[in-house]
Amino acid sequence: MAVRNDLRLLKSSAWLGWQMEANWTDPFLFATYSIVKPIAGTLILVFMYLVITGGETANDFFSYMYVGNALYMFVAEVLFGVTWVIHDDREHYMTLKHVYIAPMNFYIYIFGRSAIKIAITSFGVLITLAFGVLALGVGIDLGAVDWLLLTASLAVGLLCICILGLAMGGVSFLTAKHSIGINEGLAGVFYVMSGVVFPITILPSWAQTISKFLPVTYWMEVVRRAIEPAVMEGLAASSGYDVTGMGDMSNLTLMLLLLVSAGVFFIMSIGVFRVADNIARKKGKVDWTTAY
Amino acid sequence: MQHAVETQSLTRVFRPKKKREGKVVTALDSVDLRIDRGELFGILGPNGAGKTTILKILSTLLLPTSGKAYVAGFDVAKNLLEVRKRINMVSGGEISGYGLLTVRENLWMFSQFYGLKSKEAHQRIDVLLEKFGLRDKDKEKVRTLSTGQRQKMNVIRGFVTNPEIIFLDEPTLGLDVNAARTVREFVVDWIREDSSRTVLLTTHYMMEADELCNRIAIIDDGKILACDTPHNLKKLVRMNSTLTLSVGGLKDINDFSSIPGIDNFSSAKDAGGNETTLRFILEDESAVSDIVSTVLGKGSKILSLQKTEPTLEDVFIKLVGRGLE
Amino acid sequence: MSEGPLMRNLRTIRGRAYPRLIGSTREPSWFFFDVVLPLFTIAGYAYVYRFLEADAEFIGYVVLGGAMTAFWLNILWSMASQLYWEKEIGNLSLYLMAPTSRMSILGGMAVGGLVETTIQAAATVVVGVIAFDVIFSLGSPVTLLVVFVVTMIALYGMGMMFASLYLLLGREAYHLSSLMMEPVYFATGFYFPVRSLGRWAAAGASIIPITLGLDAMRQLIFPVGADDAFLSVNTEIAVLCVLCVVFMVLARYALRYMEHLGKTTGRLTLRWQ
Repeated sequence: MAVRNDLRLLKSSAWLGWQMEANWTDPFLFATYSIVKPIAGTLILVFMYLVITGGETANDFFSYMYVGNALYMFVAEVLFGVTWVIHDDREHYMTLKHVYIAPMNFYIYIFGRSAIKIAITSFGVLITLAFGVLALGVGIDLGAVDWLLLTASLAVGLLCICILGLAMGGVSFLTAKHSIGINEGLAGVFYVMSGVVFPITILPSWAQTISKFLPVTYWMEVVRRAIEPAVMEGLAASSGYDVTGMGDMSNLTLMLLLLVSAGVFFIMSIGVFRVADNIARKKGKVDWTTAY
Repeated sequence: MQHAVETQSLTRVFRPKKKREGKVVTALDSVDLRIDRGELFGILGPNGAGKTTILKILSTLLLPTSGKAYVAGFDVAKNLLEVRKRINMVSGGEISGYGLLTVRENLWMFSQFYGLKSKEAHQRIDVLLEKFGLRDKDKEKVRTLSTGQRQKMNVIRGFVTNPEIIFLDEPTLGLDVNAARTVREFVVDWIREDSSRTVLLTTHYMMEADELCNRIAIIDDGKILACDTPHNLKKLVRMNSTLTLSVGGLKDINDFSSIPGIDNFSSAKDAGGNETTLRFILEDESAVSDIVSTVLGKGSKILSLQKTEPTLEDVFIKLVGRGLE
Repeated sequence: MSEGPLMRNLRTIRGRAYPRLIGSTREPSWFFFDVVLPLFTIAGYAYVYRFLEADAEFIGYVVLGGAMTAFWLNILWSMASQLYWEKEIGNLSLYLMAPTSRMSILGGMAVGGLVETTIQAAATVVVGVIAFDVIFSLGSPVTLLVVFVVTMIALYGMGMMFASLYLLLGREAYHLSSLMMEPVYFATGFYFPVRSLGRWAAAGASIIPITLGLDAMRQLIFPVGADDAFLSVNTEIAVLCVLCVVFMVLARYALRYMEHLGKTTGRLTLRWQ
């Protein structure tokens, strides 16, 4: 019975999420909007690369950078999407208090609402990768993709990002006006520290130490190995050194490190959410509106 | 003499962007009003009657579909600047202003849009803050104010520019009894101070309209049904008796309209839905026995019954056939 | 009560600029959100250039471009979307009812936003320069100031025009602004010389004043900037001057048209769209 209720809640909150994301315009415009943004963001890096290399894209580092940037959409958009649910319900629609007091699993509601964001982001990532392969020669060979590793790493990574988003959502109870900024800050830390568009070995050593505590670092490496194994091997070979800083680790080791670091972040995130939730109720901030 | 406000066959129709998104709504239907200088004029009507639409047109925020509207003699569709120099508006339930500014800063900012010198603006702000009991809040950020305090600030914002004509759209909406009284007393004093000032107030609180207004227009479905002083409006039902019954377990109100001797009636259920208040405007008091027997015939129980003095609500019931709420 | 339209409009500009100017001092967290956050993107792109062993100037381009994004974000979120937001919180009807020019209200928003954002952008440049050892070579400060001023006038004129066009939008306003982030970062060459997009694409992107403004600033600040230039500085100043006039005029007409349209359809003060 409880499971059925939770599933119904998941379905209805996912439906609500879709309405909020998409019903402001017609489907064609929405699809265009969902494609143009990620492609344009990617093209910035592409042109930065082209300007320096003089147009050469058939290169392992280009594929490394391109795929990392595409995957980062999951980090930025899903993290943002989960936090945005709380921010939007509270500040714009002023429905958070009604949701909050309903006798339901709040986590399921949040993930249901965010599910559509994950779906839209997945669509954007796929389009970006397809564009890279077809137009720019990014080295993804579908026949060489390690689907098992990809599925497992995507599941762990996305769950971890969702929970991080929930923690940020909890923080937004207390700092509503700036919640999106804090969220962007965290996403920014991952962008610089997790080897998204450049290997972490170029960072100062203190920054590399931080990198090794972040689940996104391992997630990027594992997913890259799963979808572009030849590129990762080629990059290591052409550099002549352990360019990613994780070259000597097996896929299994990386998955374990991802699981452990994601587990730590998971526990920390749930803790942060609960503490923030508790403080918000103590201070009466759950139904505050700070829209100024 | 030039009227403070005049409308001639004022009509406003709202059309949906797409046909399937809704139906055409006639918010105002050939409204004719004449409000003189010095009047505290009320527009009384239920939600959706067209009260706010009138104020939006008069305050240059909305164009009429047809008809004319003049404020201080100026056409609201053409002489926008001349109208705007002479008016201000306060809407109940608004949360205008910037939360990071203090009460004083917000009030000062809005005064600047009317070209007030800062010194003069601050002097007026001081006086008004004092009158509304917000003197100690002037340096507090607006986001820290309670709903009532914020609404009082909103009222001060409307008056700080010293308009000739002020439009008050449900100004006491959501205020507690004391705060609402402060606003009402201020409005009465303000208009007494200068006979050239005019207030146009919309409300759905009958007591407020009755207590404050020199004249009242009753509006429903975009049409003005009556316009007179509260005293004269009540005369419309003075020849009638008014009977109020509290009834328990009433299932329907189907048979009351056919009882001879009833001019009109309204019914309202309590929050629990068990108790119904029936209010009858009687042309003939002999209808009382028929009403009682009809109620009992429906298997309902009469909890109380009383004959009352006519109020503006009775006027509304007589004109519209239902209550205001 | 007042001293005529000129003073009234000047006071309007001052009044509307005030919340923006005071906002920075009231909310010191702006330093984190408006200076530190852009540094993540700057750092990310700077490390990409470093990994590619690009010339040091490119890291300078990234720092300058990253700082200039503050102005574009200010245009999108605090100019274009502002009237929509004012509508939501109930201020718009009060603005529109006031006996003052709407252009003065927009002008106040622009002046306040410009000053506030200039401080943020300058702070980002300073932090970026220190963090990434960027070397600026300022040969012609007066020309640089002229470029900056005309770029800002044209840019905020564009912002005023956007604000007018957004007037009747509901939630679409948020999405439209969101849509104009990455594509504009790309098209205007915030992080790489716009010339590399090709002549016609760069010419098209020049409709956004930051494109030419940034290109000119790079030429004036970095010794090798001229090698990557799209047009000469003088030509860019001339085009920017034209854009100043065009956007101001368009903003005025757009505002008048949209206000009239809003009053006719009744959508001007309609919320929760």
